[in-house]
Amino acid sequence: MIDWSDEQLAVRDAVRRFVEEEIAPRVDDLEHGDLPPYDVLRKLYATFGLDQLARESFKRSVARRREADGGGRARNGDAGGGGSQAALTLIPIVEICRYCPGLVTALGVSTGLAGGTVMKRGTPAQMERWGLDLLTLDKIGAWAITEPGSGSDALGGMRTSARPDGDGYVLNGNKTFITNGPYADTIVLYAKLDDGSGTDLRHRPVLTFVLDRGMEGLEQSSPFRKMGLHSSPTGELFLTDVQVGPDRLLGEGKEASDAGRQSARDNFVTERAGVAAMALGVIEECLSLSTRYAKDRLLWGKPIGDFQLIQLKLAHMEVARLNVQNLVFRHIELSSLGRSLTLAEASAMKLYAAQAAVEVAMEAVQLFGGNGYMAEFRVEQLARDAKVFQIYAGTDEVQVTHIARDLLSR
Amino acid sequence: MAMNVVVCVKQIPDPAAPSSLDPGTKTLNRSGKLILDDSDSYGVEMALQLAGNVEGSEVTLVSMAPGGEVSGLRTALAMGAARAILVSDDSLAGSDALSTAKVLAAAIRRAEPDLVIAATESTDGYTGTLPVQVAELLGLPSVTFAKSVATDGRNLKVERQTEAGYDEVECPLPAVVTVTAGVVEPRYPSFKGIMAAKSKPVETLTVSDLGLDASQVGWAGARQEITDVSEAEARSAGEVVVDEGDGAERIVAFLEQVKVV
Ligand SMILES: Cc1cc2nc3c(=O)[nH]c(=O)nc-3n(C[C@H](O)[C@H](O)[C@H](O)COP(=O)(O)OP(=O)(O)OC[C@H]3O[C@@H](n4cnc5c(N)ncnc54)[C@H](O)[C@@H]3O)c2cc1C
Ligand SMILES: Cc1cc2nc3c(=O)[nH]c(=O)nc-3n(C[C@H](O)[C@H](O)[C@H](O)COP(=O)(O)OP(=O)(O)OC[C@H]3O[C@@H](n4cnc5c(N)ncnc54)[C@H](O)[C@@H]3O)c2cc1C
Repeated sequence: MIDWSDEQLAVRDAVRRFVEEEIAPRVDDLEHGDLPPYDVLRKLYATFGLDQLARESFKRSVARRREADGGGRARNGDAGGGGSQAALTLIPIVEICRYCPGLVTALGVSTGLAGGTVMKRGTPAQMERWGLDLLTLDKIGAWAITEPGSGSDALGGMRTSARPDGDGYVLNGNKTFITNGPYADTIVLYAKLDDGSGTDLRHRPVLTFVLDRGMEGLEQSSPFRKMGLHSSPTGELFLTDVQVGPDRLLGEGKEASDAGRQSARDNFVTERAGVAAMALGVIEECLSLSTRYAKDRLLWGKPIGDFQLIQLKLAHMEVARLNVQNLVFRHIELSSLGRSLTLAEASAMKLYAAQAAVEVAMEAVQLFGGNGYMAEFRVEQLARDAKVFQIYAGTDEVQVTHIARDLLSR
Repeated sequence: MAMNVVVCVKQIPDPAAPSSLDPGTKTLNRSGKLILDDSDSYGVEMALQLAGNVEGSEVTLVSMAPGGEVSGLRTALAMGAARAILVSDDSLAGSDALSTAKVLAAAIRRAEPDLVIAATESTDGYTGTLPVQVAELLGLPSVTFAKSVATDGRNLKVERQTEAGYDEVECPLPAVVTVTAGVVEPRYPSFKGIMAAKSKPVETLTVSDLGLDASQVGWAGARQEITDVSEAEARSAGEVVVDEGDGAERIVAFLEQVKVV
């Protein structure tokens, strides 16, 4: 793959038109008002028939799972469709991130992380109960692993506990920095088994539960104020003696007792590829805004694009754009072959793309001068938003450790 | 009653991209990729709505364009049209509006339409003459400037935009209707529609396939000649009113002078 195909370009153009007509005029309300992101995302889904596609892919996944449970070869409950599917998912991500990376975060966590985890790890009954509504955006999902005392060390340092009680569990603890936390209808929540056996906290099995909004003992905070990504609501969850039946344990006990750790790691590659596509959107937009500005802004009687130091910025941005685009293309191409990036590759892609997006966006602010610092010119928002790419889905430092761990284990 | 609706769609150079005239022929350079004329997206939407109302109805696109171009057609197919007829032939270069109308009329006839829809005028050529010429060549009634179109499969009811409001017009089918921009909201193609468009049938025809003679079309058949092209006059700069406390009054005085208030 050296470029998007004609068909992918048609998808891109259609989404771009939607973004310019439906999202761009609302960016202020989404970023600085009280407009939650979900209605515009649902409109995106309805407009392009993505809800319908999700329903169809859901049916295929459930059928595959039933077949596997009936003795067939087990396969992941992924939507399927290989590279074309990967491209169809990533193109809207790139396009929306030109204006509003927060929307992609809210969307990706709900459908990809919350919905995806239920589809990969749930029983057919759990897929029916929670998965479908998450994939279609009829319900909004959160995916809760981080805690005040453990982010990078989320699995080891986790304190939220699940104490067996009858045939169910009682959950206690808090989660923080949870995307969609304030509004989520469905919450995929990770907790440590506390069976009284005295196993060291770090080594206790991690279990995955599904909670519904309004359950007794579950409190969802209001959104945090933050540096950027304002259109993606982020909050805390508090659990006080939340009673859950066995039907809320993902896999309903049929999985290995420590399935939660693998469940969290399952998401690494798709999540990291998603962040690379987000970075590409930010980089493309910053580069195109900067190129135009370099031609239009006149100083000493000539466009600033004539100055070599400005040219250097544009050149660095173009290098970043090419590299990140190539990484995204490689991921799509591998998907179409039914292959996947290794952990080192996925982490390297995320590490590079996140740093590139931040550098490009900060340089765009610089190229715009005082205007770059003003909201009207948009690059300041993209710079603030891009910073989170180096923090969530594993910090830069954590990507380094994952790359090294994978390389050194070979 | 199921209907076969034909929509004329022109594929034009992207108006957002830089354009140029061929210095020799003084016509627009159309060698690059062509896209669906935005004006025609309204006709496509109108046709899809009418066809969507009656089970078994279908929308067929008809286009004449150089180089076997289908990009604009794929856009309209992705919106939901069922098939397309494309006339593309080197001998068509230099066709004036009447020759184009002859070609389109011949192609439309093959599709045996119950209703033909076109835009009021194209974005690049905008003579606004083509649809009525097509209607005349096909011997069909023509209704222009439609803002709404309804049909029972036998007759057509059109609200026809006028300066004062609109006229209600009726005529029997088949007929040719032109729609004005903005009367309907052209739908976005769904992802599924975009994927499906690739495999929808596009019949590509030459001039001889249509039973026309090469002498009737292209430079050979043109009855018009472009003799000269000159730069449009630059717009004058307008008057800048510096507000010295009387800005509002001076603006009102200006508006009164041009009889806007
Ligand atoms: C906007 C936003 C949305 C989020 N959404 C979610 C969500 O939906 N669900 C969820 O569960 N979490 C979410 N998070 C949490 C996110 O995943 C964590 O913030 C992230 O993993 C980092 O954890 P931490 O904040 O605890 O930082 P810490 O882990 O405390 O890190 C502090 C610093 O130490 C560094 N560090 C850590 N380990 C090492 C090491 N081994 N070597 C060197 N340096 C190291 C880190 O890189 C960082 O610089 C979100 C975060 C943000 C900002
Ligand atoms: C001497 C001469 C030479 C020319 N040479 C060329 C040439 O070499 N190449 C060239 O491309 N043009 C050429 N033109 C321009 C060309 O003739 C007109 O653009 C064309 O006839 C359509 O006219 P219009 O765009 O003004 O249509 P309008 O009457 O403004 O169009 C109204 C509607 O009719 C339909 N329609 C118009 N054209 C088409 C089409 N081609 N296919 C399907 N539907 C259509 C659309 O619905 C359109 O919105 C030439 C013109 C002259 C006078």
